[in-house]
Amino acid sequence: MAIYFLPQADLRGMCAARQGTSTFAPVSTEHLAWVDVIDPESFMQALSEPRPSQSPKGFLLPAAESMGEYGSGAKAASVATESPPLVLIGVRACELRARNYLDQVLLEGEAEDPLYRQRREATTIVSCDCVDCADSCFCTLVGGEPFPTDGYDVNLTPVDGGYVAEVATDRGRQWVGDDRIGRLSEATAAQLARRDELRQGMTQRLKEQNAAFSVTASDQSQPKLPDDNDDAWQRFAADCVECGACTNICPTCHCFYLYDQALGPAEFERVRTWDSCLFSTYHRMAGGPSMKLTPYPRLYSRLANRVLHKFTYSPQQYSLLGCVGCGRCVDACIGDIDIREVVQELGE
Amino acid sequence: MTSANLYLPNPAELVEVIDETPTIKTLVLAPSEPLNFRAGQFVQLTLPGVGEAPFTPSSSPLEPERIATTILNTGTVTERLHECKAGTTLGLRGPFGKGYPIDKLQGKEVLVIGGGVGLAPLRALILALLADLGKIKRLSIKYGARCVEELLYDKECNSWTADGKVDLARTIDNPQEGWTGRTGVVTTLLKDMDVDKSNCLCFICGPSVMLKFSTFTLIEEGFTPEQIYLSMNRRMSCGLGHCGRCNIGPYYLCKDGPDMNYALIKDYPNVF
Repeated sequence: MAIYFLPQADLRGMCAARQGTSTFAPVSTEHLAWVDVIDPESFMQALSEPRPSQSPKGFLLPAAESMGEYGSGAKAASVATESPPLVLIGVRACELRARNYLDQVLLEGEAEDPLYRQRREATTIVSCDCVDCADSCFCTLVGGEPFPTDGYDVNLTPVDGGYVAEVATDRGRQWVGDDRIGRLSEATAAQLARRDELRQGMTQRLKEQNAAFSVTASDQSQPKLPDDNDDAWQRFAADCVECGACTNICPTCHCFYLYDQALGPAEFERVRTWDSCLFSTYHRMAGGPSMKLTPYPRLYSRLANRVLHKFTYSPQQYSLLGCVGCGRCVDACIGDIDIREVVQELGE
Repeated sequence: MTSANLYLPNPAELVEVIDETPTIKTLVLAPSEPLNFRAGQFVQLTLPGVGEAPFTPSSSPLEPERIATTILNTGTVTERLHECKAGTTLGLRGPFGKGYPIDKLQGKEVLVIGGGVGLAPLRALILALLADLGKIKRLSIKYGARCVEELLYDKECNSWTADGKVDLARTIDNPQEGWTGRTGVVTTLLKDMDVDKSNCLCFICGPSVMLKFSTFTLIEEGFTPEQIYLSMNRRMSCGLGHCGRCNIGPYYLCKDGPDMNYALIKDYPNVF
């Protein structure tokens, strides 16, 4: 819609005025959680730091949630209540790409996930350019860029004294406020030039930091990986301890498990929790001792299935790569498995 | 697309429990609203508070107000389902999946191959075909069970062959007193069959090892992968292609299956 210059004092004021409402932002690189913004200073600094160690996936697809109640004693309608409005500040380009991926999985298929839909529609996304990056960041290897190009309501680029603020939607305009927008001046040519300069600089830095990796993947083209029966995967699976950290921390991993619990004699609840395809129980079926109870009895096949889902199956299923290059799995893995190395080593 | 909460079960009253074999029962359910399904589509059956498991109805798709699921007692949920008495309220979600490609069967010979409780989903196909026999050229049913006591639909199955277009061959794994029929695993029924291979589609359902060797036998007998449909076994949770666990390569069995054309999946390892 329009590109403004948003002085720091304005962002500070907007956040102060929103105390008590749900406005979340990461406060620092080291901080695992996104926190409800109380002190704007804490997150404004973080906007210029590398992406936080946790993605905002959990705001749209919580680690555990009630899918509703059923049974003759259950609450009427049994459909979960409406989601309260939520503002996420500081969402990165890779995280937006991951959100678009989740949209494909949960909204664009034959059936829609009603809870995800509610949260998605209740969420205002204020994204930001990356002006710094973690050592594990590799969005440029997988067809990404360190600045958002679509999917946000407002995008912020930190520049001297404030932000170049691109207001892309009506919801974004509402977040800034019509009064304030009336007072803001449009970004100057110099400020826009500075934004371009920062974007190019960051892209260049990411390419240099990943120069050792020959991986080139995108939504359109992917390296060919061996099938999940190939014991070449064992080289990496040997370091995997099935902790599930990579799947939990991954912004596109969305596998879940449904279980039921009794709330009363005729009142039951269905709960959804994140699950991990690396766990030996993930695929396990019921059956007797003579049955093959899981198609993936070997860990290396499960590890392969995860990487293949990112780099081979997702492009076939959704025309999207399942890896956005955020590098969080690299940081989270206690076995030091680096997905860049996996794809480089095994890919053709 | 719909915004209804497809994750929650609708109530269904258990109206009849039929003891089929020592390990298999058929639960006949009356859903709160008729549940229209195509043969081969599956439902998620909920035992309230305990959990749910996927079953392909064994009853005719022409009776959406009376859904039967034929269940082997083999795990936590199925063991508890076997204990349920008529009058219990269970829950149903679905139907899910594509179902059998009935529209491709016009003028065809149809070969149905079942192993153990795997005859249950095929019964829905058999009943749908029996209701419209003019459509197909022939229906040939091959069925294997472990022993005489485990022969599913033992009393009913002879009525399937009332029309000359339909034939049925059964076998049990090992010789047993009182059994004068064939013995050996079900693949022994697939050798040198009297079928028009060029005009035949095959539907197989059973345990993984039976799917594997039935498929390999059919290939040896000259069938092409494109002619073979397999009811694949995978753990399922959501039924909607969301939860991720039932994949074979890029296919989710819950939405792309559960009956998969073998040509689509044959190059993925761990299929069987």
